[in-house]
Amino acid sequence: MLESVGNRRLFVLEALGARIQGTCHLPAEAKSWTTPRTRSENRLGVVFVNSLSLPRAASGDSAVQWADALAASGFPSFRVDLPGIGDSEGTTSTDLLDVINAGGFAAVAAAAAHELVDRFQLSGLVLFGHCGGSVSALFAAAACKECKGLVLLDPYFHLPQAKRPRIREELSGWARRSKVGRALSNLYDRARNLKLSVRGSVLPANANTQLLARWKQVAGSELPILLLRAPGIKANGPKPRVGEFDYIEYAVKTAGRKSRVSLEFVQDADHSFANREGRLAVQQHLHDWLARCFVPQASPSNPEAALFPRNLDHQIDNKKPANAPADMGCVVRGN
Amino acid sequence: MQKQVDLNRQLPERAGYIPVSGAHLYTVLHPVQTPRARVLLVGPFASERHNSYLPWVRWARYLAAANMEVLRYDYRGIGESTGAFGQMTFTDWQEDVRILANWLQQRSPGLPLILHGLGLGAVFAGRAFDAGIGDALLLWSPPANANLALRSALMRWVGLEQIFKFGDDRRSASDYIRELENGSPLEVDGYFWSPALWRSSFDFDLPASLHADQTRFDSATRPVKTVRLTRDASPLVKGGIVGYDDLKDFRWLYAPNCEWIASVVAQCNKGVAYA
Repeated sequence: MLESVGNRRLFVLEALGARIQGTCHLPAEAKSWTTPRTRSENRLGVVFVNSLSLPRAASGDSAVQWADALAASGFPSFRVDLPGIGDSEGTTSTDLLDVINAGGFAAVAAAAAHELVDRFQLSGLVLFGHCGGSVSALFAAAACKECKGLVLLDPYFHLPQAKRPRIREELSGWARRSKVGRALSNLYDRARNLKLSVRGSVLPANANTQLLARWKQVAGSELPILLLRAPGIKANGPKPRVGEFDYIEYAVKTAGRKSRVSLEFVQDADHSFANREGRLAVQQHLHDWLARCFVPQASPSNPEAALFPRNLDHQIDNKKPANAPADMGCVVRGN
Repeated sequence: MQKQVDLNRQLPERAGYIPVSGAHLYTVLHPVQTPRARVLLVGPFASERHNSYLPWVRWARYLAAANMEVLRYDYRGIGESTGAFGQMTFTDWQEDVRILANWLQQRSPGLPLILHGLGLGAVFAGRAFDAGIGDALLLWSPPANANLALRSALMRWVGLEQIFKFGDDRRSASDYIRELENGSPLEVDGYFWSPALWRSSFDFDLPASLHADQTRFDSATRPVKTVRLTRDASPLVKGGIVGYDDLKDFRWLYAPNCEWIASVVAQCNKGVAYA
C-alpha cells in the first residue's frame, strides 16, 4: 500500500484525542518540502471540512477536484474527515445536524487546522465548507487563530427542521406536481411574505443566534470571506423564496463596514455545487478571490502560472449536458 | 451463538493506495492481529458511495471487531481513488475486485476469503466469485444487471432534482434515459454517465447461478447468501435522508450477516473443501 500518489498524500492526525484521516494535495514544488521553511514564506493552505455526513471527497468528488486545482496553483489543500465521519474514528451523534448547528465540530476542526499548520509549516489556512460544512467552518474560524480566510458555499444561518412531518412532505410534493398546487403554494408564499413585511428586519424565531454571533465576530475582524450562493427552492435569482427571511442579506449587512465579505451568486449551480457549472464557478470564484485577498504563490518551476486553470476539460471529459441537476438531498433545504 | 461485538473498541485502520492499470485504488485495511478470515467489501457505486459511506464503514468496523480482517476500497475514478470516471468501464471496475482479492488473499493464503458486495458491488463480487475467486459470497440487494443499479441511482437523483422543479420544469427519469439512449451524456450527482456506459450496463450481468435469492451452505458448493435489503436499510439502499439515516443503528443487519460469515469460516476451518 502506498501513502502517496502523485501530488496526493494520505495523513492521519490527532486532534483533541480524535484520530482524523485526511488527504492532502500538495503543489508540485512541495515534493522538496523536506526542510522546514519559515512561516514568513507565506505558504497558505486550504482545509475542506465535511458537509454534514458526506465523506471528504464531497458530492460527485467535487472537493477532490477543487483541492487538485488549488494545489496546481500553489496552495496545499487538505481534505479532512471530522471525527465519526468518513474514515475518521469516533462516534457520530444521531443528531448530527444539531451538533453541527451548535458548533460541535468547531474545537476539533480548529485543533486539526493548528496541527496542519504545524506539520506542513504553513503561514495560515483558509477554511472551506459547504452547507453544514460552512457552519462548522465558520464556528471553527472563530476559534482558530491560524485561520486567514473563509470560503462558505450555501451557508445557512437558521436552525433547519431536518425531518418535516409526512403530511407536509406530501403537500410539498403535490404542489410541485400540479398547477393548482403551485398556485396554492404561491398564495402561501405571499401570505408568509406579508407576515415578513410586518416583522421587518427582526430575526425569525428559527435563527441560529450563536452562529450569527460568530459571523459578526469573524466578519468584523476583517477576515476575507468568500460566500457563494446557489439558487434555492422557488428562489428568485439570488433572493430566497418569497416569504423567506433573507439571512444572507442580513449577514452581509451585519458584518460591519470594515468586513471583507465577497458575496457571489452562482446561477447554474445546484445546492451541492457538484454539477459541472457549479464546480467551474467555485473554481473561478476561488481563483479571483485568492488572487485578490492573498499573495499568489507562484511555483519556482512555473512562476507565471495562473492560480487556477480555466479549462477543466482534463477533469471533466464529456460535453456539457443541457441540464443543471439539483440538490444532493440535503436536509437543510428541507428535503 | 456469536459473542457480542464490541463496537466501541477502536481498532487500527490503514488507508493506502494500491496501483492498478492507469490509476490507484484508495483502500482502507482493517487489520486484526489473528484474523479468522479476510473479507473484501465491494461497495456501492459512484453517488451511492457517498450516501451509504457511514454504514458501510461501520460494517467494516463491525467485522473487524469480530476478528475478520477487512479491506474496503473506492472504485477507479470514484471517491479517493485516482483516474477519470468518464474513461472507466465495467470491465475496469471488475478488474479492481480481482486485483484486491488477490492482494488480500496473499496476506495469508491459508485463511478463507469472503467476498461481500452491495448493489452494483454485488454484481462485481458475484462475477468474481463465479470466476473462482473467494471461499464464500455475501450479496446485499444484488441487481440482475448493472443497468438496474444505474436506474436505481438515476431514480434517486431525479427524485432529488424534482424537489427544485415545479410543473412542466420537472423531468422524469424516462426523459433522462431517452437522452442517454439518444447518445447524450448525463451528469448524475456530479458523475458523467456516457452513453457507452449506459449501453454496456445491460450486458453486465450477475451470473445466472446467483440470480435466485438463496442461502446456500452445503459441502457441495461454496457458500452463498443473498439478502434483499428493505427501506429500513436506507441509505444502504434507496431512500432516507442523508445525514440522518446513515447514522442509524444497523446492528440488526450486521449481527446476523456477521454470524453467517463466522459460521462459514468455522466450516472452512474444519477442513470442509467446497467445490
